[in-house]
Amino acid sequence: MNFSRRDFLRTSLAGGSLVSLGGTVPAFLSRTAAAAPAAAIPGAKDSILVVVELTGGNDGLNTVIPFKDAEYEKLRPNLKIPSSQVKKINDQVGLHPAMEALAKLLDDSALCVVQGVGYPNPSQSHFRSMDIWQAASTEQSFVEGWLGKALKKLPNPPSFHLAGSNSVSPLALAGAPHRVPTINTLEDFQLRITALSGADKQEQREFIEGVVKKEAGDGNLLDFVQRTASNTYASSRRLQEIGKNYQPKVPYPPSTLANHLKLAAQLIDADIGTRIFYMSIEGFDTHANQLATHANLLRQLSEAMAAFFKDMAERGQKDRILMMTFSEFGRRAAENGSRGTDHGSAAPMLLVGGKVKSGVVGEHPSLTQLELGNLKHGIDFRQVYAAILDQWLGVPSKEVLGKAFEPAAVLQS
Amino acid sequence: MANTIDPQWAWAPYLPTAEAPWDLKKVGHLYRRLSFGATWRELEAGVQTGLEKTIDALFKGGDSQEQFELESVTAELKESIREANNGRQASAYWLFRMLYSPHPVEEKFTLFWHNHFATSNAKVLNAGFMLRQYDLMHRYCLSSFRAMLREMSTDPAMMVWLDTRLSKKGMPNENYARELMELFSLGIGNYTEKDIREAARAFTGWEIRDQQPFFNSEQHDAGEKTVLGQTGNWKGEDILRICLEQKSAPFFIVRKLFRFLISETIPASQDLLRPLAEQFRKSDFDIGALVRTMVRSNLFFAPAAYRTRVKAPVDFILGIVRALEGRVGTTALAQAMEELGQNLFFPPSVKGWDGGQAWLNGQTILFRQNLALAFTSTEDARFGRRTDPAALVQKYTKDGETDAVEFFLRLFLQDDLPAESRAKLSQYVQKAQKQNYPVYWTQKDAADQRLRALCHLVLTLPEFQLD
Repeated sequence: MNFSRRDFLRTSLAGGSLVSLGGTVPAFLSRTAAAAPAAAIPGAKDSILVVVELTGGNDGLNTVIPFKDAEYEKLRPNLKIPSSQVKKINDQVGLHPAMEALAKLLDDSALCVVQGVGYPNPSQSHFRSMDIWQAASTEQSFVEGWLGKALKKLPNPPSFHLAGSNSVSPLALAGAPHRVPTINTLEDFQLRITALSGADKQEQREFIEGVVKKEAGDGNLLDFVQRTASNTYASSRRLQEIGKNYQPKVPYPPSTLANHLKLAAQLIDADIGTRIFYMSIEGFDTHANQLATHANLLRQLSEAMAAFFKDMAERGQKDRILMMTFSEFGRRAAENGSRGTDHGSAAPMLLVGGKVKSGVVGEHPSLTQLELGNLKHGIDFRQVYAAILDQWLGVPSKEVLGKAFEPAAVLQS
Repeated sequence: MANTIDPQWAWAPYLPTAEAPWDLKKVGHLYRRLSFGATWRELEAGVQTGLEKTIDALFKGGDSQEQFELESVTAELKESIREANNGRQASAYWLFRMLYSPHPVEEKFTLFWHNHFATSNAKVLNAGFMLRQYDLMHRYCLSSFRAMLREMSTDPAMMVWLDTRLSKKGMPNENYARELMELFSLGIGNYTEKDIREAARAFTGWEIRDQQPFFNSEQHDAGEKTVLGQTGNWKGEDILRICLEQKSAPFFIVRKLFRFLISETIPASQDLLRPLAEQFRKSDFDIGALVRTMVRSNLFFAPAAYRTRVKAPVDFILGIVRALEGRVGTTALAQAMEELGQNLFFPPSVKGWDGGQAWLNGQTILFRQNLALAFTSTEDARFGRRTDPAALVQKYTKDGETDAVEFFLRLFLQDDLPAESRAKLSQYVQKAQKQNYPVYWTQKDAADQRLRALCHLVLTLPEFQLD
């Protein structure tokens, strides 16, 4: 695969059609190669962020387990993980046994476990709390997400939401200068046309792409449709040019998340300057009989993330990537009567990459000093975002988060 | 701008005038909002019969409704889905009803309630339960919200979905109580965490035995609870009553219906919604009366509401199939629905589908355009020639190809497109006519091929994505 970002940008310009695309074209198609991402801030050059959303509220207490704490077994009579099985990170806490693959990344100094992350006055509504995490704000309503705002501060690099049709474009990416496209597979991401000849096909394509290039008046619904379609056609046409025969250096497990991470690896390998990927794994809302379900989800997560890291490492790219997991909330400290857990608050975040500060950051929340039965947070999630924005993406965090948060020490300095 | 909409004017009945006549556009609008789009005959008949009769007929439904229910294919399909526990087929079953039922309006509103009480078979894993819940929503879709809410609380699919069947005295499961308040009746901000925890106690004791809801008083917490300011030894049904007594309840439902029926872009202020919320409360939550007021209204037919919804996948797909008068199998449509992001009986979360702009992202736009091609090209293995635009042109136009641009634009868009796009379509046809066709093709073969391509292009217009 020798198709470089420079080539990509050059061919993008060659057709001459970009001029007429006007303001609706993603920058990665119109910008010259000279302006390829190269943030002036140390450590931010060509860095890539992969956000993995754990949808439904991940049970943090059974993800990063305080196996030494006697309270743990009391709170979780049926759901406790025996300390003998925990993948120990230090002499106090360890990962769920299903996360063996991820635990092994500690040997590569590539896993950072941020404990007790949350925010003040936590909401226990899935949707409200998810919005808060994605907008990085506790305002009453929001229209922009933290990554969308970050993209405005970057030289508008390509970014992708990798997901099946059932998931909507996340609020986190809203506000980007150009709508971040959702892609499931490259094969599906193309416009099909039936025609008798190449010329006919070209005519039809020009019609379909031409009718969405008009200005429809700012902000109305038709304008939204046209911009989204115009963006999509342009992205799709270019993405058809990149290699379809991506060969991972390591096997990926058979899961949707792994497929999306593999697609991310392919897009990174195509070297088109992507900076942000967003994907999710759902099913964490474990109100009942959670043991097997939760273990299965953590295994999928762990194996997919580990495979992606190894694939990147084999390609010499591990220091360019940072994976970050988050969930809208953790779950209630005490289990409920149906061998599950109800909605809670603070929970750990996991960061994976060649440049993370490997090991544990922050204290495990106290199991005795609870707030309405929920774990109290020690680190505000916006402190983690601040570190990622300032030190990884090279975007001033204050401008995205609205005020200064002290960056959490999650990255190597 | 929207704040200037006068609520009294908005909900007063629309009367056709010279400036706002009853025409093809309004018939199309009515059929899109209330049903799944119109056929050419329905559009023409609607203009001729007039506003009142067209609306009445839609709410009444067509003849032979009883026969449809008893028809072998409907009943048999349902039984086989239950027996095989085939969740995917349940979706095909519903699509079949949406397409072929004499009363599509009921199907449309059942879908509204499916999105409201969004339950997914991904967790329920019981197609029989899902169809039973469908029947419940279908029964009440245009009648009593109070009755629907009550029966829903002990509906087996719901009891599995939100874990009420496992909620026991002493250790209640909060899942159902929370979503009852947040998503089914009040909306966030109108209750506290304490209300949820107390209400959860009231719903303890419900189990599923022999496929039926069963109240096990042993597991019910009969103690005193304080919920939304009212204290008593409440049971589940008391909580439902208390919820419906809240001021926020009628507004919450009306707001959702506003977005579904009127517009996704007009801001729904409290003032604008108040007359509807009042009516809904005073009528003891009569959905049918509320919907009629809304559909019959000035605002419903106003330019401000026109084409201000993004077509949902179901409206996109069934709108095309209905207009093309295709008799297609709905298993393939169920698959297409999944690709476009609306897998019936499998909503993404208890909040349902976000809808609106969320329907369209890069991938789903391409799936839509490619599906339009599959319907119109006649070369797709799933649909073949069952949705052939060329056959439709032959059926309804005099001069075939000459009339085709006009015909398709009236049928699918009621002429809602810029002159420039219209001109481009005609240009395309003219150019295409000069193409070299295979020598073994007849002139009709060539013309049909052009009509199919033309129809595909019409369906890819951005205006077609709006309802």
